[in-house]
Amino acid sequence: MRLLVVEDEPDLLASLTKALREEGYAVDAADDGEAGLSKAENWDYDAIVLDVMLPRLDGWELLRRLRRTRKTPVLLLTARDASRDRVRGLDAGADDYVVKPFDLGELLARVRALIRRAAGQTSNLIEIGPVTIDTAARRVLRDGQALVLTAREYALVEFLALHRGAVVTRTTLYEHLFNEDDDTFSNLLDVHVSNVRKKLGADFITTRRGHGYCLE
Amino acid sequence: MKGFASIRWRLQIWHGLILVLVLAGFGITAWELVRANELRRIDADLSERRSAILASLRRAREDGPPPRGLPPLRGSTDGEGSRPRDRGEFPPPPPRDFRLGGRDVGLFEGSDRNAYYYALWVRDGTELARSAAAPPGLTRPDPAAATNTIRMIGTRRELFEYTRPGECVLVGLDIAPQMAGLRRFAWPLLLAGGAILALGVAGGGWLLNRALRPIAQISSTATKIAVGDLSQRIPIAETEDELGELAGVLNSTFARLETSFAQQARFTADASHELRTPVTVLLSQIQTTLARERTATEYRDLLEACQRTAQRMRRLMESLLELARFDAGQEPLKRAPLNLAQVAEESLELIQPLAADRGLKLGTDLSTARCEGDASRLGQVITNLLTNAVQYNRSGGEIRVTTGTDQESAMLRVQDTGVGMAPADCERVFERFFRVDAARTTGAGRTGLGLAIVKAIVEAHGGTVSVSSVPGEGTVFTVRLPRR
Repeated sequence: MRLLVVEDEPDLLASLTKALREEGYAVDAADDGEAGLSKAENWDYDAIVLDVMLPRLDGWELLRRLRRTRKTPVLLLTARDASRDRVRGLDAGADDYVVKPFDLGELLARVRALIRRAAGQTSNLIEIGPVTIDTAARRVLRDGQALVLTAREYALVEFLALHRGAVVTRTTLYEHLFNEDDDTFSNLLDVHVSNVRKKLGADFITTRRGHGYCLE
Repeated sequence: MKGFASIRWRLQIWHGLILVLVLAGFGITAWELVRANELRRIDADLSERRSAILASLRRAREDGPPPRGLPPLRGSTDGEGSRPRDRGEFPPPPPRDFRLGGRDVGLFEGSDRNAYYYALWVRDGTELARSAAAPPGLTRPDPAAATNTIRMIGTRRELFEYTRPGECVLVGLDIAPQMAGLRRFAWPLLLAGGAILALGVAGGGWLLNRALRPIAQISSTATKIAVGDLSQRIPIAETEDELGELAGVLNSTFARLETSFAQQARFTADASHELRTPVTVLLSQIQTTLARERTATEYRDLLEACQRTAQRMRRLMESLLELARFDAGQEPLKRAPLNLAQVAEESLELIQPLAADRGLKLGTDLSTARCEGDASRLGQVITNLLTNAVQYNRSGGEIRVTTGTDQESAMLRVQDTGVGMAPADCERVFERFFRVDAARTTGAGRTGLGLAIVKAIVEAHGGTVSVSSVPGEGTVFTVRLPRR
C-alpha cells in the first residue's frame, strides 16, 4: 500500500511518515498544498492523509482539484471539530477525518479502514482457501497457524488479496509497495514473491507471464 | 409576575387604599354637610315655631284677663306678695287656659307631614299646654342641666327655652323621616363612590401597566441575556423619559459586554486551536516512538523534537498571557525618554543572523527619533516587525529600516521586498492568529500573535501602527509614537 501524507508541520510530517512506514506502508511526503496536489495527481495512491491548513494551497482546495481526476481515498486532518468544518470536508470529497490532536492508533485504524473500503472489503479478515489475512492485526494465518512475514511480504500479500482475481502488474506493485525513495529497478519484487511462495505455498500467487501476478 | 410582592401590586394596593381614603373622606364630608344642612333647616323651623309660641304667650299675658283679678303688670300688690322683689322682674304667669293663636296653630297642625309639636310648662313644672302631636312621654327639660337648648331624645329633636318668668317652651319634631331620607341619600353616594373607586383602580392599573411595561421589557431582556443570549436589546420607544434613558444605558452596556464576550470567546477558541498543533505533534511523535523498541539515538531525537514543541508552546503561552495583560490594562510600561533609532539598532543586531541565513540585505536610515516609552517593549515591537519582514521576504531580498520625526510624532518604518498582501489581508493582519496564507508554522518562532502584540504595545504608548502593501513587491509597516 502506498500512501501520501500532506502536512506542513515538519515534526508532525516526520512522525506520521515514520509511523506509517513502520506499519508497512510505502509513504510519500509533501509539506505544502501544491506539492501535495502534484504528487496526488501523478501517482495512484491507496490513500492520502491530508492536513486542512496548508501553505500555498489549503486542504479543501487541494481536495476539490484532486477530485476532478482521482478518487483516491482521503483522510482529513483537521484542527477544527466544528461540525460545519467536518461537513465541509466530507462534502469536498474527503472519505473520513480525524480531529487534531488525534491518537496515532486511531489514525492508523482509519487509514486501514479507508484502504479496505476502497477495495470493496467490509471486514478486516480476508479468506483465500486455507489462508486468512487479518488486515487489522497485519497477520497471515494458514490453517489457523500464524506465519512470520516481513512488512514488505505482508504488504504484497495484502495488496494482491485486496485485488483478488485481478491481474496486478509489476509496475502497479512497485508503485504501491515502494515509496519514491526506494530503488524500483532492483529485483526486490521477485525476491518478495518467491519468499511469500515459500511460506504460503507455491500456487498461492499465480504468475501471468508478460502481465503480472494474480491471487486466484 | 412576582405575586403581591411586586412593585406593580404594591403600587396598585397603595393607590387603591389612598383612593378609598380620599373617597371615604369626601363622602363622609358630603353626607355630614347635607345632614348638618338638614338639621339647620329643622332647627330654623323649630326656632320659628318657638318664637311664635313665645309671641303667643306674650300676647296671652297682655290680652288675657289678669289672674285672680289683678292687672298683670301691677303685681306689687297681688297675692304673690310673699316674693315682692319678683315683681316687675317676673311678669305674671300666662293664663291657665293658654292656647295658641289661630294663625300659629297652623304651624303645628294641618297636614300629616307636619309633625311639629310643642309643650309649655309653667315655672313650677306644671304643664300648661301641649299639642296633640306631642309624644306621650314628653317631660320638661331639667332647668339646672339645660346648658344646651337643643336636645335629642331618640329620634326626636327638641328645642326649648326658659322664659324669664320661668316658663318652659319646647318645640320638637320627630326627625326619623328626615334621617331616613338622609340614609337614602347615602346609598347613591356609596354607589357613586364605589364606581369612582373601581374606575380609579382600573385607570391606575392601566397607567401602572404603561409605566411598568419598559421595566418588564428591561427585565425580560436582562433575563434572556442572563441565560446567555447577549445579542438581545431592550426595545426603546420613548428615548426622552427616564426609563428610556436607562434602557439606552443598559443597551450600550450590553453591547460592550457582547463585544468583549465575543472577543474572549474567539480568543479562547483561537488559543485552544493554536495549541492543538503542538499537542498533535507531541502525541504523534511520542506514540510513534513508543510503538516499538528504539535505539538510544531515536529516543534522543524524540526528546529533542518534544523539546522544540514544548518551547513553541511556551512561546505561544507567553504571547497569549502578554496579550491578555495588555487587554486587561495590567501590563506596566516603564516609560523613559528614548531614541527610536537606538532601539532599532539593538533589534537589528538581534535579527542580523536570521536575515543572513535567508540571504537578506539589511538597509538602514536611522535619524534621531526621540519619544517617551518603554525601551524593551518598543524593542520587542521592532524585533517582531523585523522577524515578520524576514519570514515573508523572498530570499535575497531586502529589509529597510527607517526612523525619523515629523511635527507630531516619532516614526519607525520597516519595509520588506516580500510577497506582499492583498488589501483585505492588510486590514486583518493585526488580528490575533491571522495568517495571510493558511500556512501554519513554517517558521519555527511563529505564533500568529507577533503583529497583535506590536499593535497592543504601540497603542499602550498612545501611538499608531499602520501597514501598506503591494502584492509581489513588498510590505511597509509604519509605527508612529507621540513626540516628547
